[in-house]
Amino acid sequence: MKKQIVAIALLIISTGVFAQEFKLPKTSGKLLISEVNNVTIEGYDGKEIVFSSMDGIKEKDSRAQGLRAVSAMGLEDNTGIGLSVQDKGNTVEVYQMKKMDGPKVKIMVPKGVTVSYSHTSPYGSNIRFKNISNEIEVSTVHNSVHLDNVTGPLAVKTVHGSIDVIFGSTINNPISIVSVHGPVDVTIPVSTKANLSMTTSYGEMFVDPSIKIEFEDQGEWKKYGSNKVSGKLNGGGLDMKLSSTHNSIYLRKK
Amino acid sequence: MNMEQEKLASRIIDYIGGKLNETDKQLIEQELVKSSEAYKLYEQLKEVMQVMDSSKELEPSAKLRNDFEAFLRAETEQGKKSKTVFFSTTWYKVAAAVALLLVGGGTGYWISQQNRQQNELMALQKEIEETRRLVLAQMNNDQSASQRMLGVMAAYESVQANKPDDEIVEALVTSMNTDSNSNVRLAAVEALSKFAAEEKVRKALIESLSKQKDPVVQIALIQLLVQIKEKDVMKSLKQIIDDEQSLPAVKDEAHAGIFKLS
Repeated sequence: MKKQIVAIALLIISTGVFAQEFKLPKTSGKLLISEVNNVTIEGYDGKEIVFSSMDGIKEKDSRAQGLRAVSAMGLEDNTGIGLSVQDKGNTVEVYQMKKMDGPKVKIMVPKGVTVSYSHTSPYGSNIRFKNISNEIEVSTVHNSVHLDNVTGPLAVKTVHGSIDVIFGSTINNPISIVSVHGPVDVTIPVSTKANLSMTTSYGEMFVDPSIKIEFEDQGEWKKYGSNKVSGKLNGGGLDMKLSSTHNSIYLRKK
Repeated sequence: MNMEQEKLASRIIDYIGGKLNETDKQLIEQELVKSSEAYKLYEQLKEVMQVMDSSKELEPSAKLRNDFEAFLRAETEQGKKSKTVFFSTTWYKVAAAVALLLVGGGTGYWISQQNRQQNELMALQKEIEETRRLVLAQMNNDQSASQRMLGVMAAYESVQANKPDDEIVEALVTSMNTDSNSNVRLAAVEALSKFAAEEKVRKALIESLSKQKDPVVQIALIQLLVQIKEKDVMKSLKQIIDDEQSLPAVKDEAHAGIFKLS
């Protein structure tokens, strides 16, 4: 028994040592994350933004011992985990040092901080958001976007990626989710009051049977081949725009 | 008794009382000698005055006084009672007051009604101004894309209730061309699609197509311009097809657009 406790304690200590962290006290403002290839962002009840490397023990570049990493943008790794974090008062800017690959990062964000993520290079992985009850802006070209237990407002756009959103019990106005090539897959509470607009040019639209859409009256002339569905959910409310030009839209119930 | 006689009588009274000066005294004496009528009057007045002089010493009896007071009381009683009669002056006053109140109130109400309409109109105008100001401020909120998106939607709504408003349309065009967030630019394109009948807006949409770099917005713009059958967009569509940097999906959309428009 004693041995086990010691072993667990050792394990905790060792992970504490190897999972490097960088903390920045902040309870409001905006976190701008640019070109960070592999990141998970989680909301929590804290008072500081916590950046941690999820890579575990990596072989250190022994040649780089005692040197500092710099990038073409004139940035420096001031976190020790391959990120440049710059506190500019109301905004905090986060960049990755390496163009390709880069660290696997987890960022814990206090509730009052809004997150804006943008990514354009083709070297990214999926971007994940979890438990965030604040505004989220995502703009990617190649990355797929996963949002789990979020409330919005959302402004999410990707060109090639897919977008998966699972909302929490409440949703905040407005919601705009747009992809050109990827599917848009959204899960909402059945009771959501919304003015829904779904648009696709070459895809299809699928909706859970228990989600009733009050279609807008199109008048006498029905438009066949129209690629837009406009209607109200539960009498209308927040603006929810879902669009996928070349892929399908899925609207599920929670 | 006519005026002359009255005057004469008062003169004679004064004569009897010895209040006249010498000349008047002589005049009266001559008159009394000349006219028998005047003399007769003189005789009568003298008698009356003598009686009056002697009656000064007479006090009204207690009974008389009591009788008089009783009579007076009765009279006042009757006077009081008469106040309860319906159309007494008091009631006229009350009626007049009520009438005045009604007329005054009515006029006041009418004036206040006019004022209220005026105020409501002004409040409404102020509200529209205020909304416009808020909307434009919201569209410039550089901290939050969703706020700007709400601003664009509110701008769209505010114009829906009124006529296209140059300031709002301009703000929407600026959002469409310069906002850093694609979702906001997309919302602006959608908002502007409502005013596509306006020549100015169509021109702005065509111009915007060559400025947009995000395929999401490019595709939405092409689809909108094709939908409103704007043939002037052909040149821009050809440019997109010839541009090596254009995303294949955008080129496809441009090809489809050219096909539909020609």
